[in-house]
Amino acid sequence: MSQIELKNLRKEFGSLVAVNNLNLTIEDGEFIVFVGPSGCGKTTTLRMIAGFEDPTSGDITIDGKVVNELEPRDRDLGMVFQSHALFPHKNVADNIAFGLRMKKVKQDEQARKVKEVSELVRITHLLGKMPGQCSGGESQRIALARTLVTEPSNFLLDEPLSSLDAKLRRELRAECDRLHDELQKTFIYVTHDQEEAMTLADRIVVMNQGKIVQMGSPLEIYGDPVSYFVADFFGNPAMNLVEGEFVSGDSGLQFKSPQFTIPLPSKYSQKQPGKGTLGIRPENVTIGATDAAASINREVELVEPLGKDTLLYFETGAERPFVAVIEGTQSVERHANVDVGFPDDAIFLFDETGARIR
Amino acid sequence: MSTTDASGIPASASPGNKRQVTREQGIRRFKWTVLTPLILLMAFLLLPAFLLQGYFSFFAFSIFDAGDSSGFSSYFKASEWVGLDLWKDAFSDTKFFNAILRSLLFSAGTTVCCFVLGFGLALLMYRPFRGQGFYYVFFILPMLTVPIVIAYTGEMILYQNGPLNDILSRITGQRVMFQFLYAKEVALTTIMFLETWNWTPFSFIIMMAGLASLPKEPQEAAQILGASKLRIFWEVQVPLLRPVILLALILRFLEAMAEFPKTWGLLQGGPGSATETIPIYIFLNAWQYFDISYGAVLSYIVMFLMIFIIMGAIWLLRREKKNLDDMYQAPNQEG
Amino acid sequence: MAMTKSQRQLNFSIFRYLVLTFWLFIVAFPIFWMVGTSFKPDIEWFAWPPVYITENGTLQNYLVVWADASEYSESVHTQSLQRPWEALGNSTLISLISTTLAVLFGSVLAYGVSRYQILSEGRMFQLLMLRMVPPIVLIAPISIWYRALDLLDSVPGLVMLYFITTLPYAVWMSKSFIDEVPREMEQAAEILGASKWQTIWEVVLPLVRSGLVATFLFILILTWSEYLMALLLSKTNVVTLPIELSKYQGSTEGRVYGRQAALSVGITLPLILVGIIIRKHLVRGFSFGMVRR
Repeated sequence: MSQIELKNLRKEFGSLVAVNNLNLTIEDGEFIVFVGPSGCGKTTTLRMIAGFEDPTSGDITIDGKVVNELEPRDRDLGMVFQSHALFPHKNVADNIAFGLRMKKVKQDEQARKVKEVSELVRITHLLGKMPGQCSGGESQRIALARTLVTEPSNFLLDEPLSSLDAKLRRELRAECDRLHDELQKTFIYVTHDQEEAMTLADRIVVMNQGKIVQMGSPLEIYGDPVSYFVADFFGNPAMNLVEGEFVSGDSGLQFKSPQFTIPLPSKYSQKQPGKGTLGIRPENVTIGATDAAASINREVELVEPLGKDTLLYFETGAERPFVAVIEGTQSVERHANVDVGFPDDAIFLFDETGARIR
Repeated sequence: MSTTDASGIPASASPGNKRQVTREQGIRRFKWTVLTPLILLMAFLLLPAFLLQGYFSFFAFSIFDAGDSSGFSSYFKASEWVGLDLWKDAFSDTKFFNAILRSLLFSAGTTVCCFVLGFGLALLMYRPFRGQGFYYVFFILPMLTVPIVIAYTGEMILYQNGPLNDILSRITGQRVMFQFLYAKEVALTTIMFLETWNWTPFSFIIMMAGLASLPKEPQEAAQILGASKLRIFWEVQVPLLRPVILLALILRFLEAMAEFPKTWGLLQGGPGSATETIPIYIFLNAWQYFDISYGAVLSYIVMFLMIFIIMGAIWLLRREKKNLDDMYQAPNQEG
Repeated sequence: MAMTKSQRQLNFSIFRYLVLTFWLFIVAFPIFWMVGTSFKPDIEWFAWPPVYITENGTLQNYLVVWADASEYSESVHTQSLQRPWEALGNSTLISLISTTLAVLFGSVLAYGVSRYQILSEGRMFQLLMLRMVPPIVLIAPISIWYRALDLLDSVPGLVMLYFITTLPYAVWMSKSFIDEVPREMEQAAEILGASKWQTIWEVVLPLVRSGLVATFLFILILTWSEYLMALLLSKTNVVTLPIELSKYQGSTEGRVYGRQAALSVGITLPLILVGIIIRKHLVRGFSFGMVRR
C-alpha cells in the first residue's frame, strides 16, 4: 500500500510560480498522468515528488509520511528520464544492475534479477552491449528495466517517449500499459501528448499555469471538459470551437457567429446572453439528412479520406477550419453543399473567460 | 482528497524548507572549503607583492643600495622617499612609450597572422580527407615546442650561414647573407614570425573545434537557396563562429602581450632597442639595471593598462557567451 | 568554361595538398633542423653551405650534454658545467606537482561552478586575469617577498606560482568537460540509491576522465616550458630545463649549437609525445564552452 499525497504544494523560481498550491492524492497502483502544455508545472511537480526540487511550501507524503526531508534515494521511487540518462560507460547489464549494487544486493541475486527484468521488458539480447549501440526504443526499454529492477513502489516517468518516433511511441506505450497491469504499482507519468494521456491513464490530471484545471478518467475529461482549455487540449482532430455571441431569439437562446446563427438547446434558454464560444467534437457533427435541431448549409472545402474515416473541412470564419468526421469513405464531393448538423447533446458552450456553461 | 489541514501550520513554516536549508548550507560549506585556500594563497602570495610594488614605486630603491646585507628589512632601510618623481619619469619616458607601442604592434600583428593562418588551415582541413590525421599531428607540433627551444633553434636557422640564407641563396642564385636577427629594421618582424610559428596551432585547434561544431543544415539550406561558397562563408559560417573567433583572438592577443622567452632568448631587446617590448623593458629596468623602483612604477602602469584591456576583452566574451546561451536554451524548459 | 563538379573537387583537393604540404614544410623544418644538428659533429655546426643531413652522424652531443662524457669530445667544447639530469628532475617534479594541484583543485572548483554556481559567471571571467596579466609585472616584488620568506630558489616557490597562473585554464577547461555530463545522468544515479560520492566516482568521473587527462597534459605543457618565472626566481639551486638550456647562450665558449640542440631535443621530446597522445582532446578542451555541440 503506497499512497502519495501532495498538500498545498507550491514551487516558485524567483518571481515565477511554477506550481501553485497543488492538492492531490494518488492511490496505490494508480496510473496517473500529468498532462498540459510545456511550462504548466507538470515536470516540476514530478521532480518535487522525486526530491530533485524542494517545494517552496507544502508537503509531499508517501504512505502518510512527510518525505520533504528525504533524499531522492530514500523515497522508494523509480524514475525514467526523458533523455533515458543511461550511463554511457557501462554496458546494459551494468546499467541495470547499478541500483542493485548501490543497495548492496548480493552478486548472484543481482544477476538473477537483471535476467528476470530483462526478460520482462524483452531486452535479454542487449545485455552485453553498450548503450551507445542501442536504438532509441531499446534505450527506453533499458531505462525502464533499470528502474524496474530495484522494485520501487512508485514509478515516475518524465515524458519517457517524447524522444521516439510515432510508431515506436505507440509500441512502448502499450508496453508501459502492460507493465502497469503486471506490476500493479503506482505510475506517475508526465506528458504533453494528450493521446498518451488518454490511452494510458486511470486518471488524468490536466495542468495549466501551475494549477490543476481538471482531473478525472480519460472519458470524463474527454466527454465533460470543464473549460475551453481542456476541451481544446483533448481530442484529435481537436474540438471545433467557434467564437461568437449568445443572443436571445424567438425560441430561447441562439448562437450567433459572424457567418451563421443556430438555435441552442432548450436547457440553455435561461443563460445570460453575451460573448462566448460554441464547441462540438468533429465526430459528433452530422452530415446530410439530420434530425438535429440546429443545422447550417455549407460548402465542403476539402475532403480528406483517412481510410476508415473521412474528414470534411468547412469554412466558418473561425481560426481553424471546421471539421467533421464521417465514417467510411462516403461519397461527399469537394465543393458540394451539405447540411451540417449540431445534435443537442453534443454542443458545448463556454463563456468569455473560457469556463463551461452547463 | 483531503485538502483541509486542521493543524493550521502556516505554509511557510512547513518542514519542506529544512532539507533545502541543509543543502544550501552544504553547498556554502563546499564553496568556502574550495575557495578559502585559493583566497589565502592569493593573500599570501600576490597581495604582499602588490603592496611591495606600491611601496617601492614611491620609495626609490636599487639592489645596489642594499649593500652587503641581503635581509628583507635592509631593503626598506635603503629605500628613500621620492614621491611621484618616478611616476613623472615614467610618463615622460619615450622608451617606455615605444615599448608599449611595440608590444601592441607585436601582439596585434601576431594575433592576426596566427588567426588568418590557423583559420585558413582549419577551413582546408575540417572536412575529413586522406591524410587529415597525419597533417594534424604535424600542425600542432610548434605549440608543443618549448619557447626557449624555439628561440635557440631559430637562431641556428636564421644566422648568417644558416639554412634559411642558404635556401634563399639557392633560389636567387646569389649569396644571400641577410641579417634576420641583427638588422634593426627586421628584428621585431623576425620575432613576430617565430611567435606566429609557435602559436598558429592554437588558433588552428580552436577554429577546427568551431568549424566541426557548426550545424550542417543552415549551410545546406543556404546552398539550396543559391548562395555561393563565399557567401555561405561570410553570411552563415562566420556569424555562427563569432564567439570562437573572438576567443581565439583575445586569448592569443593577451598571451602575446606577455611574450618573453623568445624575445629575450634571442635578442635581449636588441639590436639597439628594436625588440624592447613591455616585458623586456620592465625586465631590463628591474633585473639588468637593478632599478627595482622604476620597474615597479612601470609594472603598475602596465598592470592597469592590461587590466583595462582584459576588462574590455571580458566584456566582449561575456556578451558572446550570453548570445550563445540564449541561442541554445532548451526550448521546452519548464519554469 | 564551366567545370564539372568532380573537376572542381579534384582541383580543390590538389590545392589543399599543395598548401598543407607547404605549411608542413614550414612546421617541420625547425624541428628537423634541431634534431639534425643534435647529431652533427662540431665542424658541421657552422659550415657553409649548411649541412642538411649529416653523413658523420654522432651521438657525441648527447653524450657530452646528458652523460658529461668529455672524453667523447674532440674539440674545445668539452666543458659541461651543466646538470641536465638534475634539471630534468626539477622540471619533472615542479611541473607534475603544480599541474596535479591545479587540475585537482581546478576540477573540483569547476564542478562546484557547473552544478552549484559557487562562482558567478563574472567571477569566472575575473579568474582569467590570474593568467592574463603578464607575470613580469609582479615578478620583482614577488622575488623580494620570496627572499623574505626564504622561498627563492625552491621547489614550493615555483610550484605555488605555476599553480596560480595555470588555475584559470584548469578551471575553464575542466568545466567545459563537466558541463557536458547531463544532470539527468547524476539524478538517475541518485534515485537508484547512489550517494553523492558514489555518483561522482561512478558516473561523473568516468565520463570526464579523458577530458581531465587532456587538461592535465595541457597544463603540463605550460608549466614544463615556463621560462620567465623560473629564470628570475630560481636560478642557482633549483634549475629547470628551459633555464638549463639558456645557460648555453651565455656561456663563454661561444655558440655550441650541437650541444644546445641535443638538450633541446631532450626538453621537447616529452612534450611532443604528450601532445600527440592528447591531440584529439585538445580540440574539445580549448573551446572553453564557446563551442556548443
